[in-house]
Amino acid sequence: MRRVIITVLLWIVVAGRIEPAPQSTPLPIKADSVKFAVIGDSGTGDRAQYDVGRQMESAHAKFPFDLVIMLGDNMYGRQEPQDFVAKFEEPYKPLLSAGVTFYASLGNHDNQSNRFYQGFHMGGERYYTFARRGVRFFAFDTNLMDPKQVDWIEGALKQSQDDWKICYFHHPLYSDAGRHGSDVQLRVVLEPLLVKYGVNVVFAGHDHVYERLKPQKGIAYFVSGSGGQLRKGDVKPTAETAAYFDDDQSFMLVEVAGDDLFFEALSRTGRAVDSGVIRRQPSPGSTGGL
Amino acid sequence: MRNHAIANHAIATHAHRRRLTAGRVWHDVSRHLFDRFLLLPIGAAIALVWANTGPESYFTFAHMLAFPVNEIGMALFFALITQEIVEAVMPGGALHSWRRWGLPLVAAAGGVAGSVSVYLAYVNLAYVTVLAQAWPIACAVDVAAAYYVLKTILPRSGALPFALVIGIATDIFGVFVVAPRHLVLATHAGGAALMMIAVALAAVMRAAGVRSFWAYLSICGTVSWFAFYLVGLHPAFALAPIVPFLRHEPRRLDLFADPPDDDATHHFEHEWNVLVQAILFLFGLVNAGVILRGYDTGTWAVLAAALVGRPIGMLAAVGLACAAGLHLPRRLGWRELVVVALTMSSGFTIALFFATGVVAPGPVQVEIKIGALATSVGALLALAAARLLGVRRVVR
Repeated sequence: MRRVIITVLLWIVVAGRIEPAPQSTPLPIKADSVKFAVIGDSGTGDRAQYDVGRQMESAHAKFPFDLVIMLGDNMYGRQEPQDFVAKFEEPYKPLLSAGVTFYASLGNHDNQSNRFYQGFHMGGERYYTFARRGVRFFAFDTNLMDPKQVDWIEGALKQSQDDWKICYFHHPLYSDAGRHGSDVQLRVVLEPLLVKYGVNVVFAGHDHVYERLKPQKGIAYFVSGSGGQLRKGDVKPTAETAAYFDDDQSFMLVEVAGDDLFFEALSRTGRAVDSGVIRRQPSPGSTGGL
Repeated sequence: MRNHAIANHAIATHAHRRRLTAGRVWHDVSRHLFDRFLLLPIGAAIALVWANTGPESYFTFAHMLAFPVNEIGMALFFALITQEIVEAVMPGGALHSWRRWGLPLVAAAGGVAGSVSVYLAYVNLAYVTVLAQAWPIACAVDVAAAYYVLKTILPRSGALPFALVIGIATDIFGVFVVAPRHLVLATHAGGAALMMIAVALAAVMRAAGVRSFWAYLSICGTVSWFAFYLVGLHPAFALAPIVPFLRHEPRRLDLFADPPDDDATHHFEHEWNVLVQAILFLFGLVNAGVILRGYDTGTWAVLAAALVGRPIGMLAAVGLACAAGLHLPRRLGWRELVVVALTMSSGFTIALFFATGVVAPGPVQVEIKIGALATSVGALLALAAARLLGVRRVVR
């Protein structure tokens, strides 16, 4: 009897960590939509990363995304040619074979020279931009926010006439995780630009958890830093927390269709731990909601 | 009526005495703060508390003031340091004799080699190579802090000038590494020509017998500042080439000590003292605010380099030099040398400055800054070592 009670209590505690309960909004999987996956802090080369890779492969069969954005710490530890095989090419081999393109940003554990690695499609740049059918992606290097990069960010955001502006980088501007949390110093520099030029969504890693925050000044923020690493129980939810998952590794699937961005966060075992839709706000700087 | 008048007089006298006492206390406190360069650590302490309790407002404030303080204000601080060094090494100055420079220079080279080796080894073993570019921070010695610590522990030994030469030589090396900032700042044409104009102007003014240091500062200093900025050098060092043209008197006692024949013409540092201290307060306030949970590999690397690499490198280099035939200065034994080496491990002000100069703002800079602040424990280690080793004055 005691064992049953303990099991029930444990179940309540574990279930209670996933708040709120996953929404049932499915990804629409439209033919002309932009589909991509998101992984952060992935490059451990251990079993968990390979498990996530297998789940991504499984998801790809049903949701044929053609690109993956990487939120930094794409490689941990030694970063010799054989490590690129063990920590990137092998875990995602089926996706790479299927023609999926990975676009990386640099984390604090990445060698700066990794921007020259062909598989990361960074074109030798620390920060860069690319677009897919009305969706423009901006990858920043938040390790070193030098004035040259800030000028580039402002210019690139200003120049973009795309419907959707999605930024991704390593250090989160908003995070409720205990180890690192929000990088307020970066936020003071970047947020005014993101708001001014109408950025819709921001993805970051660094904290080894999944978290979705309530929109901040009209921008949706996600932390997805458990593509390989994990810091169990690290999220300390606040009023800004919309959803989180810190029990297991996870990754995200995203689909941009017209004025809507659909997202789904999946655990290492393939369980949906969060999902929802973000409606594009018509004017820069306006407040929006999920 | 008369009693009333006497009572009023007594009250007035009492109030006057209280005002006098309060004035004296304020005078003593402020003099202590200024003489011991305490406004900087006070600014740093405020920044630390502010950043960790109200980060949004702190970083907005710090971001706004970073340029005027770090790039303009600090030029006056480095001018002051240049002035102190120029006077100390000129004929009759405390550090004039080159014989005094031999062993300390060897010690400084050993300290730099030790600290940089430990730093680079640490970040490479941790596979965080983005930190490698911050290695010059391992070359920072807070000379002012070292001066006051040694003044407390070893006031009458040969340790003070010995340590000052080590600190100055180490920092000069660091400055030459930190000054070019091509990674952080865009460079522009025309800077070199402007630099030559600034120095030529200073030489002409000196030849014409211009005595006012404000003239040198406002004309040559301004031109030099723009020259440094345009050429991609850190503009905080812009007054360094101008200061040698100002009038000087040898500093016979030691660095930071007031010369007896003090006058404004020869010692502009007294005119600037309050201003520079205010700038140092702002420097601490703007740069020392870090969120403490931002510590990471860079923090431990800076600490290991300063507290382990530098003292060991210095002691090893001095050991080798002594084995090769050089001699320790009089009244400076190996126990004192250990204390000096530990005193040199505090990087604080200079390390913070190097961090802002050599690493772009962001999380990497934050972890380095936390390490720079933490090197202050070097002063405590030096005091503890002095007590343990029975070095004079600390043991009563």
